[in-house]
Amino acid sequence: MLNHRFLPLSLAAIATLAACALVPNTSLEEARGSYAAAQTDPQVVKLAAGELYQAGEALNKANDAWSKREETARVDQLAYLAKQRVAIAQETVRQKEAEMAAASAGAERDKIRLEARTAEADAAQRNAAASQRIAEASQRSAEASQLVSEASQRQSEASQRQAQNAEARSRQLEGQLKELDARKTARGLVITLGDVLFDTNKAQLKPGGMRGVQKLADVLKEYPQRSVLIEGFTDSTGSKIHNQELSDRRANAVQTALLDAGIGADRIGTVGYGVTYPVASNATAEGRQMNRRVEIIVSGESEPIASR
Amino acid sequence: MKNVSKYPWCRALSGIGFAAAVMAGCASVPAPTEQVAVAKAAVANAAGAGGPEFASVEMRTAQEKLDGANQAMAAQDYERALWLADQAQVDAQLAVARAHSARAQQTANALQEDSRVLREELNRKNR
Repeated sequence: MLNHRFLPLSLAAIATLAACALVPNTSLEEARGSYAAAQTDPQVVKLAAGELYQAGEALNKANDAWSKREETARVDQLAYLAKQRVAIAQETVRQKEAEMAAASAGAERDKIRLEARTAEADAAQRNAAASQRIAEASQRSAEASQLVSEASQRQSEASQRQAQNAEARSRQLEGQLKELDARKTARGLVITLGDVLFDTNKAQLKPGGMRGVQKLADVLKEYPQRSVLIEGFTDSTGSKIHNQELSDRRANAVQTALLDAGIGADRIGTVGYGVTYPVASNATAEGRQMNRRVEIIVSGESEPIASR
Repeated sequence: MKNVSKYPWCRALSGIGFAAAVMAGCASVPAPTEQVAVAKAAVANAAGAGGPEFASVEMRTAQEKLDGANQAMAAQDYERALWLADQAQVDAQLAVARAHSARAQQTANALQEDSRVLREELNRKNR
């Protein structure tokens, strides 16, 4: 009888308990979720082990209260505390990570400062080396200028000496040709072989003429840079053609004599002018004799003989 | 007979017992003076650790809950006082943790910025 009376009550209690077991607590579920996430985070396990342990303890209390079917408000309270403990653990991880980042950033900054100082020192050294190189380069440049200036000095002295030598040689040549009655003209030294040195109306040189030409050849051998131009002239007696031919042949005769004396053909030019370019009047015998002549022009050392 | 006469007494006794248990349940919550003091200290600590600056939300809820706990103490609602004091304490601790983490992050950022500026300067000089 007693048993029967209590049976419905027991059933009701069981039903109530079963109903309770079926309704989960959302706060607790939330706390469990965040704790599980923290627990599987290796950073939390490593950096906030203490805080994670406290969170676990708090969650255990909440679970305990829930499994003992304590009031929802009580379970909620404990779940809230557990959830906040998990948040503290996670915040602690962030703090530790930031501290490590700060430590490594500090080390990095020190390293860069050292690099900066090293770079400054290197730059100073490079600057010094560059200045040294610039100084050396300008020294070399100055030395080079000095050398150039000395060379140009020497060159100018050499040209001066050369000019002096040339002038000396010219004077010497003039002296040597004096006995041939050489005259100094704008075209060069001019030696005149008079009519008397040729056979009358012929191109054959007389022995006196030959001696003069031989003397000229000797001098020319001493001055290999000089060449000669042989110009033949006649007076106006006789035909122009005859006179032209005679002047040609007389000039050629002198050339032949020079060639025979060993002067190179390339150094001798000839031209016959016939009756042109008289030096005196053809009206008198004296004048005509002066006009019958061969002129030998000796060139300078470098410049060719200007033509008439 | 004996059983029948005994039963109502028993029921009355159990009724009284239940009531006593309920009364005891209420009366068994002593004034959570210690927990409120701990919560107060935790909130003060958080306020000093930069909580208002770096964790204003947690800081405000902690302060509100501490105020609530004090009011509940005054109203002799000790269960509520305990409940709010515990929450205020953990909220204040979270505020401290957030402040510490934010401070550390600031330091790290500043150092990283220093490094970046230095590096930039160095690169500019080397160019």
